[in-house]
Amino acid sequence: MIWSIAWRNVWRNKVRSIIMIVAIALGLVAGVFSIAFMQGAVDARIESATRSEISHIQIHAPHFSENNETGLYITQAKELSEKIENLNDLEAASYRLIAEPFIMAAHGTGGGKMLGIVPEKEKRVSNISQKLVEGTYLEKDGRMPPVLIGEKLATKLKLKVGSKVNVQMVDMSGDLSSKGYRVCGIFKTVNTSFDETNLFVLYDDLQKQLAMPDDVAHEIAMICANADDLETVKSKVQQLAGNNDVQIWKELNPEMSILTESMDEYMYIFILIILLGLCFGIINTMLMAVLERTKEIGMLMAVGMNKRRIFSMIMLESVMLTLSGGVIGVFLGTLITKYFETAPIDVSAFSEGMEKYGYASQIYTSLPSEMLVTITILVIITGMVSAIYPARKALKLNPAEATRTE
Amino acid sequence: MKIIQIKNLHKIYNSDSVSVHAVNGVDLSFEEGEFTAIVGPSGSGKTTLLNIVGGLDEATEGSVEVDGVKINELSARKLTDFRMKNIGFVFQAYNLVPVLTAKENVEFIMHLQGANKNDREARTTELLKAVGLGEMMNRRPSKLSGGQQQRVAVARALASKPKFVLADEPTANLDSHSTENLLDIMELLNKEENITFIFSTHDQRVVHKARRVITIEDGKIISDEVK
Repeated sequence: MIWSIAWRNVWRNKVRSIIMIVAIALGLVAGVFSIAFMQGAVDARIESATRSEISHIQIHAPHFSENNETGLYITQAKELSEKIENLNDLEAASYRLIAEPFIMAAHGTGGGKMLGIVPEKEKRVSNISQKLVEGTYLEKDGRMPPVLIGEKLATKLKLKVGSKVNVQMVDMSGDLSSKGYRVCGIFKTVNTSFDETNLFVLYDDLQKQLAMPDDVAHEIAMICANADDLETVKSKVQQLAGNNDVQIWKELNPEMSILTESMDEYMYIFILIILLGLCFGIINTMLMAVLERTKEIGMLMAVGMNKRRIFSMIMLESVMLTLSGGVIGVFLGTLITKYFETAPIDVSAFSEGMEKYGYASQIYTSLPSEMLVTITILVIITGMVSAIYPARKALKLNPAEATRTE
Repeated sequence: MKIIQIKNLHKIYNSDSVSVHAVNGVDLSFEEGEFTAIVGPSGSGKTTLLNIVGGLDEATEGSVEVDGVKINELSARKLTDFRMKNIGFVFQAYNLVPVLTAKENVEFIMHLQGANKNDREARTTELLKAVGLGEMMNRRPSKLSGGQQQRVAVARALASKPKFVLADEPTANLDSHSTENLLDIMELLNKEENITFIFSTHDQRVVHKARRVITIEDGKIISDEVK
């Protein structure tokens, strides 16, 4: 019966309750949507990083990651790559050679990271082949070996498809090696920094330029079927990789790992700020509701409603009021979020700044379901916390005085 | 059989500069089935006396014993429980819960007592019929007249089968017809069900109906007449 009284009390002053419910709902719509937008941006960044840049898991020879030394390589790379691909949890694996060349073109020079890849294997691990804006994906056309470059580097060095570049690097024996490549294609990812510093050439071409032995690789990159349980896959890969280093993307790119982990905290802080603001509104509403009913509360105390029940009744009213707005807000916020899950939000006005840090200029919202549960729980807690002060006010009433209040 | 025994009761209100002796050495007792009016001018202490007897206010000195229990020695929690089980209240301004129907207002007290649904419904119907509101059980207070609301309040006061009912100026807001009607109902319940009623009142119609009239002035009993 106390539930029924509490619910009816919520609607005693309809205008006041509706204003409060609308305020809570709007606050939560904004909160849910903002969280979904931020999560969407981070998800897109992770997707870009894992599918275009670093993949899910990589294997390197011990100490190679410290300074990319050419002489530190994985032996029997093809066999290892095939064994890894046969693991149930793996989708694909690709072995690569890596060099840090000096690039000379007609209109400028630059540095970067050159990856020697087997196109057919690489296509299954990285989506660079789908990011071409011009040209072909490492198809040989003529006598010069092909090179795939990023749009940012192409702009910087004024290169086009068919342009020639000269690439210099130190080979296995420590000698300077120079080789001409012809630009076969230009790619564009959401990360302009990646586009400016990464070049792709054929495995065989880089192997020859570096004078590397057969069947070796500096890196084996792989994509897993389920990205949520990489640690388990990592341990299986480690068993096959022997002494070589196996690292998941969070270890390969700790900055991004921190970003994703801190995003959850940012989201909670953001929603807590919204709820804290709403909390004051709810306290005010509940306080008015209690002060208006001094006589009635006094009567309830007089006829035997104990303090625990009075407290519960006011607490329930506050939670019901808050939850009404909360449910509407979370529902509408989710609806809007669902819409933008398939229709991206265009933030191209800020694309230059965003792409510099690897963020896409089109964001698809993403709202983790556990976040909805957490928000709902936080809304209930807000309702309870907001009721404490008004409820304490009610409990301090003297029934004899309260029943005679005008 | 004595159900209330008041001994040497004092109540002093202290404010910054003034000390008011609202109840000053009252000794009284009430028998089961009494229909008593406590009368006196405004500020004479009759409401304070009623509040202390009802466990709503604390005495400065003295004791109130209800059915053998010294209520001024009970903890706040036990006192609330004691009120719920033993005392019915009727207030001047009715004090019904506006969001509940007449039936729910009466039933609510029994709900607090933990009575089961069937018992609650049977007793609520019986009481509302007894006060002449059998046809209006599902109306909210705003849809009832002042007299009807006060009759719901009487039914509510009786819902918990109390040992006695304290009515603080129950007719003050009612017209003559409603007052007569209400007093007739309470008198009937008193005679037929032996329910003890104690009124504080200015109303001569209540005084006229009462079988015992206690007059209080400046916190002291100045007369106690049994008709």
